[in-house]
Amino acid sequence: MTTAAELLALAYQPESVPLEQIASDLGANGLPYALPIHPNLVHLTIGLFVIAIAFDVVGALYPLEKRLFRFLALPITRGGFHDVGWYNLLACCLVTFVTVASGFYEMLTAVPLPGVVSTFGLGSMTTMLWHGVGGVALLTIITGMTVWRGFQRYRWRRDMGRQVQWLYLLVGVAMFALLGLHGTLGAQLAAEFGVHIAADQLLQAGADLHVALP
Amino acid sequence: MLELLPPLNDHNLPWMDTIHPIVVHFVIAMALIGFVFDLIGVLWRRPALFEVSFWNLLFATGAIFVAIIFGQVEAGLAAPYGAARNILDLHTTIGWSLAGVLSLLTAWRYVLRNRDPEALPISFLGAGTLVSALIVVQVVLGDKLIWTYGLHTVKVVAAMREGLI
Repeated sequence: MTTAAELLALAYQPESVPLEQIASDLGANGLPYALPIHPNLVHLTIGLFVIAIAFDVVGALYPLEKRLFRFLALPITRGGFHDVGWYNLLACCLVTFVTVASGFYEMLTAVPLPGVVSTFGLGSMTTMLWHGVGGVALLTIITGMTVWRGFQRYRWRRDMGRQVQWLYLLVGVAMFALLGLHGTLGAQLAAEFGVHIAADQLLQAGADLHVALP
Repeated sequence: MLELLPPLNDHNLPWMDTIHPIVVHFVIAMALIGFVFDLIGVLWRRPALFEVSFWNLLFATGAIFVAIIFGQVEAGLAAPYGAARNILDLHTTIGWSLAGVLSLLTAWRYVLRNRDPEALPISFLGAGTLVSALIVVQVVLGDKLIWTYGLHTVKVVAAMREGLI
């Protein structure tokens, strides 16, 4: 009988980590380009999702806030709020496929700083695994919610003033917490584990930043 | 002023993590998608999208002031070095300018929407192109501060406190 640890000892050859095959093509930040793509697409995923849900909440509570908007002399329609909820979520869903894809590329090329334990008490590998699996889970939920939202808009609630079910809004708000937690893991990969941050990687390599990053 | 804040952590921050990059989600995403929806609305004649753009633009304009408040505090604690100092200066200047530019764009849009919510002049699309380009430049500058110079990352803060940078 061979245990998993014994197999791993046989298979693990640090001198030939796959990343080394392309290492000569990578810059100081561990990427073949100057700035990472995934964190920029994350702006779109998070911004679009949060505002989509927020405007559906505003649309759902329309009877309460009508007077406020009239007081502000801001002409509104309930359908307009729900349009923001639908189109922003649709855009979020489309963008997030690219967000996750670029995230996987940049995680496969990640070299976290050794010996670091995050604020959550996790090591770099555990953090990356949660962030990777979590990203796919969030993409699945966002896609599911977009289909759900589409059915509410074009089928089930087409002729109703309130275009969304309360349950949909509840799931959306619960997703805020998941996105926040997931985003914090991603932020830790950067700010604590130094993944794809040129200055952190140069310092780890023993470089003098006065010379390396003048 | 600084004594009003909690003690600084290993990110050189009085709070757990940088807040500015979280707030700018809502400026970047809303302003850029607003422009995209305007473009689609004009090209494919979908005036319903103009309403979506309007609200996104309004939200982006509100969010940029919050982003600037946190940005100023976190920039003040960032201890930039080398070329990062110039980049941070430029990022600050463009950031404040964008607050003005986005406010003007939103005001113009408010007037246009009051006149006819179903129409959008090409001149507004032109302005939207310029503002979107300015936002992209601003994002690249902010990206350099974190992804190249590692401001507020644990490793750089530790090096700074050891006097290495």
